[in-house]
Amino acid sequence: MPPTTSRPRTADTAWPTRQQALKVAVFTLLLSWPLHRLSGTPYHAVFGRIGFIGMALLLAYAAAGRFKPHWLGIAAARLMAVVLTAPIAALATVLATQGANFITYLGERQALLGQVMMVFLSIFFGVLFALAAMRKERKQRERADRLQTQLEKDALERELLDARLRLLQKQIEPHFLFNTLANVEALVASGSDNAGPVLRHLIAYLRAAMPRLGDADATLATELQLVRTYLQLMHLRMPDRMQFSVSDVAAAETLRFPAMALLTLVENAVRHGIDPSMDGGSIEVGGRRDPVSGRITLWVSDTGVGMSETAQPGTGLANLRTRLQGCYGAGTRLDLHEATPRGVRVELHFDPGVKP
Amino acid sequence: MKPVTALIADDEPLLRERLRSHLAALWPELALTDDARNGQEALELFEQCRPDIVFLDIHMPGLNGIEVARALARRAQLVFVTAYEHYAVEAFGQGAIDYLVKPIDAGRLADTVQRLQRQVALPLQASHALDAVLDQLAGRMQQRAQPRQWLQWIRASVGNSVRLIPVEQVRYLRAEEKYTQVVWEEGEALIRKTIRELAEQLDPERFVQTHRSLIVNLSCVSMVVRGVNETAELHLRDGDEVLPVSRSYLHHFRQM
Repeated sequence: MPPTTSRPRTADTAWPTRQQALKVAVFTLLLSWPLHRLSGTPYHAVFGRIGFIGMALLLAYAAAGRFKPHWLGIAAARLMAVVLTAPIAALATVLATQGANFITYLGERQALLGQVMMVFLSIFFGVLFALAAMRKERKQRERADRLQTQLEKDALERELLDARLRLLQKQIEPHFLFNTLANVEALVASGSDNAGPVLRHLIAYLRAAMPRLGDADATLATELQLVRTYLQLMHLRMPDRMQFSVSDVAAAETLRFPAMALLTLVENAVRHGIDPSMDGGSIEVGGRRDPVSGRITLWVSDTGVGMSETAQPGTGLANLRTRLQGCYGAGTRLDLHEATPRGVRVELHFDPGVKP
Repeated sequence: MKPVTALIADDEPLLRERLRSHLAALWPELALTDDARNGQEALELFEQCRPDIVFLDIHMPGLNGIEVARALARRAQLVFVTAYEHYAVEAFGQGAIDYLVKPIDAGRLADTVQRLQRQVALPLQASHALDAVLDQLAGRMQQRAQPRQWLQWIRASVGNSVRLIPVEQVRYLRAEEKYTQVVWEEGEALIRKTIRELAEQLDPERFVQTHRSLIVNLSCVSMVVRGVNETAELHLRDGDEVLPVSRSYLHHFRQM
């Protein structure tokens, strides 16, 4: 059996609401009055027939919404049910009042005319009421949809706020800081010319990685610079185990980019790809802009140990996805690929035009 | 008398050099073997040179410093060198283990050197306290590395690349003859694992088998509708899919 079926679009219940029944009752009570005056038939007899037809149409309307054939739309099914039920219900009232005499009764010209008029009125008011009811239902559905959309929007905003807060709480890892400082100290002690530049890299990294509220001034260019600085520091610490390249992306200076988004991916590549590997590997950071669609693809690719299927994803990636979607819209994607022969390639796809 | 020998194991070359130069100044008679760049090399060099003292960085690729220390089984004087493994420093602080923090302070290293000079003259002793601390630390590092063994990523060929799909993005998994179809937030793919294997590897708190050929991510379920004959249907959020729950798996949803 196929486990998936598409959800049928039908009403939830086969019964009219109490409000609908009340409306039909009041209307038929009112409508019976002019008919009673016109035909001279006693009021209770007129109402008996009109009220019966009205309720029959209402039941048909409600049931059609629930048990409609799948090839028919819900509105068409309801209208068709009303139109078909009207003559049947009218005939039923004749049968009920005249019993076996109904053929003779309908043979009278006056009675037949009245009967035809009754069917006509039933169809007219039946369709009118059905249209009004469907309009009301549509309005209610739209309102529910709007509410749902609003809820989803609120949830997204909350997630984004969470992601920002977590970024604020992100601290410079003490292990990274002390190890790097130990390297700087070793350079200073040996009188290496490298000590100054390395210290400046560390300062630039610390300044960029300090918690801050707004990242309004952050661009892809500043992010790429931060990534370069970080990789230079790591290369200093593991010169025999880690190589890297960071290529420029066209127009990176004018492209707003959430601060530390790319850095998170590069840190992951070092921590989970290169660092656990005895032979090390290389990290490549790059990007390109599709000339037609304007969409941007950025990637961080490493030749490290790769990812085990049970490796904890941590909150970093989910957090990052939320921030990027908050910045560039829901079309933003963050994909992980297995690199060949080993390692992981993370790709970021987004449209910078959504919210420039 | 045979000179005292020591081995330095650290994956960062500048830090190995720095410790070397510190030791050369504080203890010129100490003979240093070749340096080890990772835990594996540390063990190999130890077997080759049998040094009296081993300086062990904790954070190293392959075998970490704690694992190397356990393998050495008290055949040398151990000194741990660490940048910031606070849980380790905590354990070391209780005594029994000598440790240095990076960047290395010359005064602190001088104390260590003095203590080592006294100790190498004495025969090595078994120390239960040290073994206990190492066992405890090894257990903790193991735990930190792999807190749970549930499947977190699904490898799937998509186009000409292999995607790593985080399991939290998976909506459901359905058996397709010998393969399994993965339906996740961004698409569908076929993988070679069977539903039975996946049912064992996925975290049962998050994924539930609902049918012989179906596993569903619980966080994607928006509604459970009871059907006739002890079955049910699952409606998923953000989509039109309705998935069946067969009689033998209905117990998962009894409480809902």
